[in-house]
Amino acid sequence: MPFDAASDTPDEALLVLYASGDRAAAQELAARHLPLVLGFATRMLAGDRAEAEDVAQEAMLRLWRVAPDWRTGEAKVSTWLYRVVANLCTDRLRGKKRRRAVGLDDAPDVADDTQGVEAVLVDGDRMAALNAALDELPDRQRQAVVLRHIEGLSNPEIAEVMDIGVEAVESLTARGKRALTQAMAGRRAELGYEEGS
Amino acid sequence: MQDSDLDDLFGQARQPVAVPAALMARVLSDADALQPVAPVRPRKARLWQGLWAGIGGFGGLAGLSTAAMAGLWIGFAQPTALVAVTDAFLPVDVVAETYNILPGFDEFLDEG
Repeated sequence: MPFDAASDTPDEALLVLYASGDRAAAQELAARHLPLVLGFATRMLAGDRAEAEDVAQEAMLRLWRVAPDWRTGEAKVSTWLYRVVANLCTDRLRGKKRRRAVGLDDAPDVADDTQGVEAVLVDGDRMAALNAALDELPDRQRQAVVLRHIEGLSNPEIAEVMDIGVEAVESLTARGKRALTQAMAGRRAELGYEEGS
Repeated sequence: MQDSDLDDLFGQARQPVAVPAALMARVLSDADALQPVAPVRPRKARLWQGLWAGIGGFGGLAGLSTAAMAGLWIGFAQPTALVAVTDAFLPVDVVAETYNILPGFDEFLDEG
């Protein structure tokens, strides 16, 4: 595959090429999708980079495995990957909550995601405050808000990723955004926002 | 907090995340391990199979036939523009002599 053609080839074509033995296709697919997958997983897992990398690797592994059976025209590769990552993260978060409930003494050290919005706001870091506020949202709301406002997916695409209806997506994103606004309200001065802006 | 402030933060959060080289290496080695091997096509030593493939199968045969028939047609029909070309190869002088087989009877009508 010539170098200049790689960046114009659509994802599904690359997948077919990969399944036919083309080695360069895998590199292009990974270059395109691994950043998105890793970013999304990191946000879902409250900043736990190690777990996020595990999830990202697992999601790409599933993509390589499904490549020979991929039916073109049914779904976008990126939407499919988001869905896999969302499900993997949900499983891991559920597992974490179960372990936390059972026994804290012999549990492995969990990433410090109990740090509240108030504590983080002390040093006035807006991005950290946003992350902390996101972490406090219920999982489904966080998923919907991140997919909509950070990953930039459309509502129908989010509906496909989360396996719910479009109205449910709109409801989740609205509730999530409202909850974020409330979580960060009253801290405008600390965050460095000027009055009346 | 204003909606626009939240949107600004979202915009900042949209920066693409840098993928650690180790992770990329692991993902690519998974891809290598799971990649289907390209099938080796068996080589057919039969002459006709090779000729058939060379012509292009039924599709190629159809195109070949069409081109042959078009050539014959042009040769017979001799469109005006082509006459100059064909005359250079095969000049044909058409000499048409007319024989008056059935003369008119007007001369016989003159008296005398």
